[in-house]
Amino acid sequence: MVNKSTDSKRAHKMRSTGSKQQFDTLVRPWRYRLYGVAQRQSASTEIAEDYTQETLLRAWRDFGQLDDQVAIYAWLLRILNRVVADGYRRDNRRRQLAPVLTTEDAVLSEHPCAAPGPFEQALKHQTDAQVMAAVRDLPDNFRQVVLLRDFEDLSYQDIAQILDLAPGTVMSRLSRGRRLLAERLIKVASDNPAASDNTHTRVTPHE
Amino acid sequence: MSDKPSITPSSESHQWSDLHHQIQDWLAGYADGELDEHHITLVEAHLAGCEACRHDAERQRMLSERLQEIPAPRLSPAFAKRLDDTLASVQTSDRRPVGQKPLEGLKHWLTRLSPSAVIGGGGWAVAMVLAAMLLVPSLTPEDPNQMAVASQIPMVNDVLADYQRVVGNDLRTPSDDADLSPPMQWANGRVLARWTTRVGGEPAEAYAVRLGNSLIVQYQISERVFFRNPDVRQAVARAGDFRTRDNELEVIGLPMRASGLLVVAPSGNVPPIDKSAMSAS
Ligand SMILES: [Zn+2]
Repeated sequence: MVNKSTDSKRAHKMRSTGSKQQFDTLVRPWRYRLYGVAQRQSASTEIAEDYTQETLLRAWRDFGQLDDQVAIYAWLLRILNRVVADGYRRDNRRRQLAPVLTTEDAVLSEHPCAAPGPFEQALKHQTDAQVMAAVRDLPDNFRQVVLLRDFEDLSYQDIAQILDLAPGTVMSRLSRGRRLLAERLIKVASDNPAASDNTHTRVTPHE
Repeated sequence: MSDKPSITPSSESHQWSDLHHQIQDWLAGYADGELDEHHITLVEAHLAGCEACRHDAERQRMLSERLQEIPAPRLSPAFAKRLDDTLASVQTSDRRPVGQKPLEGLKHWLTRLSPSAVIGGGGWAVAMVLAAMLLVPSLTPEDPNQMAVASQIPMVNDVLADYQRVVGNDLRTPSDDADLSPPMQWANGRVLARWTTRVGGEPAEAYAVRLGNSLIVQYQISERVFFRNPDVRQAVARAGDFRTRDNELEVIGLPMRASGLLVVAPSGNVPPIDKSAMSAS
């Protein structure tokens, strides 16, 4: 005679330990990359650490709903995205309106640094920190797609999935986001002609 | 400025201007190689005559390359340690009963999964549903050929129709206090959901179980319904169970104490049936 209640207790216990092991195998290894994504949109290391920890805690809480290994990183990025959005709300950070520049924007079409050759030079001369500061200062919608594409190297399809957008929207936001980023970096370059040996330059967000 | 289009008749110039604006939203896709053939052709035709967009496409590409050069920030060892400790403490204190969690419908899982998971071959939930869909592409109770065997036994018809509805994503959310343990348990099986349905005119408990890539549904039905059909009675008396199948689905009927169990599985994917456990339960 099978004792059903003992049996289901055992099965339950197995699932519990199993899920901790699964979490440790499937989710924990992603914490380094998650931190990278968090850090790139945080003003400080402490905030990035908070975002990362909060993301993993939420991931643990919701782990039972997840059954697909391949999509784990995308799933974690979705959570991180919500954590960051919540963080921004908490910080009362003003949601920037996303300005839409055309390719004929004055800076882009008239500035000497905007032509492909000089632009490439300007990019080379700016420090990683300067470029990252400009990325962080992008409006949310633009920053997200730029991070997921140019840092995380995800396909438009994956980004669309993570951000709940149509792939066409990912493409237009990325086009506009990079355009705005280019415009701001061109301004930085023109404000600081000696940017190459000036490491403490901060980007002043264009209002 | 320097590269403004030459003055053309107004309709043509409108078209050019529309395209000029439309294409600006595609330039990232062009630079990233994410456009299809058709759009590449459109973009390239435009770029040939528009310096502003041509430069923008170049900047998109350069910017992307520049950003990719930036090394990923490193997590400090101190924080890594703190993070591990925090997780460990949450994991031990919070004995979250994974298996008892109310589960959402298949539709929800599907929308949550990335399409690349399907293509990548690792998405079991998608694979399972696709497999089930492929296995039951046109199984409808109205189809007299496919249902030839089953149509003689109403309870079999009912469970096949119910199974099909589950495959069609209409998986009901179980109530919070539902006990998700199905009558028959398999080592690698995972209970997805439980719901109540009607089989043979009487209430029945259904349990969806994922096993490998198969969706298997167990229906616990009343003894009366189970033994109503003489073919079933005969088969059970002779072999201990009742089996019927068509090209796509297989149904196994098992007597239980005071009830009957119908297991519906894709043909060829029927899990081992432990009859000793069944009769004992
Ligand atoms: Zn143009």
